[in-house]
Amino acid sequence: MTSVDTATIFDIQRFSIHDGPGIRTTVFFKGCTMNCRWCQNPESIRPGKEMAVYVDRCIGCGMCGHVCPTGAIPADRPGRIDWRICDSCGLCAETCPAEALVLVGRTITADDLLDDCLADRSFYNVSGGGVTLSGGEPVMQSDFLRGFLPLLREEHVSVLLETAGNYAYSKIDALLPMLDHIYYDFKLPGPEEYRTMTGGDRELILENLAALKKGTVPVTVRMPVLPGINTAPEQIARIGRTLRSIGIHEMQLLPYNPFWESKLPRLQTEKRPLMLSDKNIDYRHIADALEQIGIAAQFPARHPGTQDAL
Amino acid sequence: MSVQPSPSLQAQENHRIRLDQLKAFPENQRLKKIRQDILDSGYHLCTQKASLMTDYMKRNDPQPKWLEPLRRVHYGLYGNSMKKAAKGMPQRTWQIAANNLLNRFYQRCQPFSPSENQLCFAKAFRHILDNMELKVYDQELIVGNPSSHRVGAPIHPELGGLLMLPEIDRLDTRPNNPIPIDAAQRRELKEEIFPFWFNRSVLAFAPLYTKNPELFSQTTEGCYFILTQFAGISHVTPDYPRVLRMGFNGIKEKIRHHLDRMPDTRGNRATEERRAFYEAALITAEAAIAYGKRWSRHLTEQAAAEKNPERGAELAALADMFRRIPAEPAATFYEAVQSLFITHVMVHGENFQHGVSFGRVDQYLYPYYIKDLETGILTTEKALEILGCFIAKAGELIPLFFDRATEFFSGLSSASGLTLGGCLPDGSDGVNELSYLFLHAYDQVRLRQPNFHVRVHRDTPAPFLTLCADVLKKGGGLPAFFNDEQVATALVNSGFQEDDAADYSIVGCVEWGVPGKSFPAAGAVFINLPMALHLALHNGKFGTKAFGPPTGTALDFQTMDDIIGGFTTQLRHMLAIAAEGNDAIEKAHARHRPTPFLSTLVEGCIERGIEVNNGGAIYGTVGCQGVGLADVADSLSAMDELVFRKKRLSLAEMLGAVDSNYEGREDIRQLIANKTSKYGINRVEADRWARIVSGIYTRAVFQHKSPRGGPYLGGFWSMTTHQGFGVRTPALPSGRKAGETLANGISSVNGRDRLGPTAAMASAAKIDSGLIGNGCALNMKINPDQIQGEEGSRLLRWLIRGYFDMGGCQVQFNIIDPAILIDAREHPEKYRDLVVRVSGYSAYFNDLTDAMKDELIDRTLHSSRSLCGC
Ligand code: SF4
Ligand code: SF4
Repeated sequence: MTSVDTATIFDIQRFSIHDGPGIRTTVFFKGCTMNCRWCQNPESIRPGKEMAVYVDRCIGCGMCGHVCPTGAIPADRPGRIDWRICDSCGLCAETCPAEALVLVGRTITADDLLDDCLADRSFYNVSGGGVTLSGGEPVMQSDFLRGFLPLLREEHVSVLLETAGNYAYSKIDALLPMLDHIYYDFKLPGPEEYRTMTGGDRELILENLAALKKGTVPVTVRMPVLPGINTAPEQIARIGRTLRSIGIHEMQLLPYNPFWESKLPRLQTEKRPLMLSDKNIDYRHIADALEQIGIAAQFPARHPGTQDAL
Repeated sequence: MSVQPSPSLQAQENHRIRLDQLKAFPENQRLKKIRQDILDSGYHLCTQKASLMTDYMKRNDPQPKWLEPLRRVHYGLYGNSMKKAAKGMPQRTWQIAANNLLNRFYQRCQPFSPSENQLCFAKAFRHILDNMELKVYDQELIVGNPSSHRVGAPIHPELGGLLMLPEIDRLDTRPNNPIPIDAAQRRELKEEIFPFWFNRSVLAFAPLYTKNPELFSQTTEGCYFILTQFAGISHVTPDYPRVLRMGFNGIKEKIRHHLDRMPDTRGNRATEERRAFYEAALITAEAAIAYGKRWSRHLTEQAAAEKNPERGAELAALADMFRRIPAEPAATFYEAVQSLFITHVMVHGENFQHGVSFGRVDQYLYPYYIKDLETGILTTEKALEILGCFIAKAGELIPLFFDRATEFFSGLSSASGLTLGGCLPDGSDGVNELSYLFLHAYDQVRLRQPNFHVRVHRDTPAPFLTLCADVLKKGGGLPAFFNDEQVATALVNSGFQEDDAADYSIVGCVEWGVPGKSFPAAGAVFINLPMALHLALHNGKFGTKAFGPPTGTALDFQTMDDIIGGFTTQLRHMLAIAAEGNDAIEKAHARHRPTPFLSTLVEGCIERGIEVNNGGAIYGTVGCQGVGLADVADSLSAMDELVFRKKRLSLAEMLGAVDSNYEGREDIRQLIANKTSKYGINRVEADRWARIVSGIYTRAVFQHKSPRGGPYLGGFWSMTTHQGFGVRTPALPSGRKAGETLANGISSVNGRDRLGPTAAMASAAKIDSGLIGNGCALNMKINPDQIQGEEGSRLLRWLIRGYFDMGGCQVQFNIIDPAILIDAREHPEKYRDLVVRVSGYSAYFNDLTDAMKDELIDRTLHSSRSLCGC
């Protein structure tokens, strides 16, 4: 079956130092079962390939218009795609010399992905690192992973999965023997909020978490801090109590990063900037509140990849 | 013969690294003061050695009086042509021929034999040591002033000092690295010193040993290659431990031992020269002893005049010490360090200040340290203070380069290397308490020099690497790291004995050499690799000028093999010219500027009776660096992908765009930049070209043999020559425009290592290191944000370990906040102590050329972009 031999990914990031222990290589799988309004990788949501346009890089050479088979790029507007017509064939991206048109997503075979995942093996060895599966929702491509993860296991590479848990348990169950650690996102207090803001099913997510918790693979629960969305004291308390009730005693807080908003103009998306800022968020305060419920919450001393406000 | 104390096993056990005690030292006020004094003192030209040497020579090796009028006219013309050359106007062929003719003529009129010459320079050295002004600076515990200023740049007219002639008037106002000079110095140089040496220096004589009349123009032009040794050879790790072990009395005895066994020399020139060498060496060893005595007297006087009783006692102790050293072996740790440094000073009374290195200091000083701790005359704190004083001392010398050379060697570092850690002969780890102490001492001193180098192998203790990382993180880029396994292998492949290779230490910036046994001339030659590619693609021409053999034009190349063939031909041709030129310079050194004192400190010279410039050292290799490796790799990768594999362009079309400097062909430049594989992102397509080119280069270099007996050894490190060459190099098929800087060392082209440090390292590990006998530098830029705290130190350790496990040879890190650099560019006065790692060595940011500053800012900006915002 070809569908399990290849995966659709949109990035492979070497030298990841914030996605699990040690030095890691993170593979970003394309496609997600949810659609969070604040998604850090809005280009990851659709399962198929899609185009991104970097207007500022375009040098106006017009080559894209010539190669586009659907006429989605009008001759008088080189480098601008009519999303209604474009079928994401990627020909323009291949031609564009300036990386102004980029095809997000590529099909990769297990063997090629393995090569990429092993390239930094000596760094994994010295640091206790390995491969992190991220996305998107990697578990959506569980059929591929079932064939791929054993290859990593054979090479003694440790594997960490980042997941949001919104899928039938059988999808992840099959992967468990090949995972060393799971980072599991839990984002919002109530089912309604989950449904409207992420499209996810809170009960399913909780059930899966509870089931995983009983297994042997260590699970770390992570909560993205979303200023004004899940930061009210009663929201924090509810999240804490829910997690506590299924036996969670520890979790991590992920600081909010608005970087994703700058990606929106490049994509065909209905997402809108949320203009949130964590300037007034006291992470320690949230951690203390969780502490009172019996959950030890870690939060990073600084925000990975963002400038500390001075 | 050896009187080096060897500590008992018990003693060693007692002082196994007591990490808890070595964790942190309070700020040492003495070191703080010394550091500040050095930073505050500014730089100054030092003409003391030049003046004493000229004075001696005028009296003892005068040129005949009747030559004077001719010389005067000749000097006038010479000065003019030098000034023109400095402005980039090459000398005419007839001028060169006339110059050479005259220089040959003078030599005839003044027939000093090589033997007489040796003796004469030995006596001149004695004259210098006898008369050099002695200065003791406030609070210092290690004395010895290598120049007449706190931070001085000695000029060497008998070597290449005449290169400074055109800029003596504006030395203090020139835009790059201005160096204060006073009116008296100016006058003396112009009227006494230069007119005496202009026709009898290495610079004057070197052209007589080459068949290439354009050599001098070619090297000052700086397009194809740079030959540095007009300025002096230096770049050596003298056998300082020999002085600690035997003292100069012992060295004298050793010389005498050989001298007494010399057969009858009459009528045999070779034996006569050997005898003369021994006699010359004896004179210098005696001069060294006398110099120690002179210090003793001077310190006694200083002690007597000192009002502060505590300081008086320190000076008296030093005076007492100098009653014995450096004549006698060192008896204590303190004596050992002082004897080591005073010998270093004396070496610079004879040699140009560049790359004279200290070797494996933590190893050879360790027995003294342990013994003194055992007997209770030393504490760890005291040892730290002594080491700190020693380290600060090494920062008192800066090199003097003429203006065009500063483009290639910006940063004013005289690059004295110092090596810590590494394997012992039995394969066990050599890190000891002193290795830690050296780093702690450096941490408190933090001046531009010496260059700290750390040898790493499987068993290097993690806490030691952590301390290295902690020290490194505070900026300054020191220490650099070397992989024992790879370096030793490269040295064995290059012809070194296995045990010698295993004992390697770092010479200068990154060059690996065998301490005390090799005279590696490690900084001799720099080759512009992309220029060889340019010539290959343009039928041997650069512009309208034919330089290399015809190798075809765009239409002639059907495959990548054809291009590689052309590149190899041009490279070999370029190397042949450079090596012939360097040989000529070395022959001039050998014949006209022997260094008998240095010869007493390099193994093989006394044993064989041959002076070091004449091939006395056990290993007489020459270092030959390839610059711009990544630019060539990226260019080849671009042509391979776009022209031959994907066929998106014809070669003619591509080269057309390149030759128009991508003017109007930004599309092609973008295509290259974005759609071809680059070296530095761990893609086979580009990395293989770096591997191929590095292999071609090191093998081609290895074909050449130095007049001193050893092979030429390839290296990939560039100081700032990538900047100098870059200015002169036309656009390349890599997408690089004309004039842009080249890549440094084995690093990727700036900003192209888009996948972060591990991918860049994985690419670098692919380079064929088998024959890299003269060092390579991988510069990694790290965002300061990522290496904070303990986690950050761990991260650096992982990167070093991971890279070396992959087979990397060397790595150094530059951790600087771009915001600070930008501010420092605007406000140099605020950042006098901002040390940054250039390529292969550290320099004060303020001492860099503007172009270098920009490059560094650019580099750091790129790194924060690629490592941040993930
Ligand atoms: S992806 Fe294909 S259809 Fe869409 S604009 Fe580009 S060439 Fe046209
Ligand atoms: S091919 Fe790229 S650079 Fe050229 S017009 Fe299209 S988008 Fe712009």
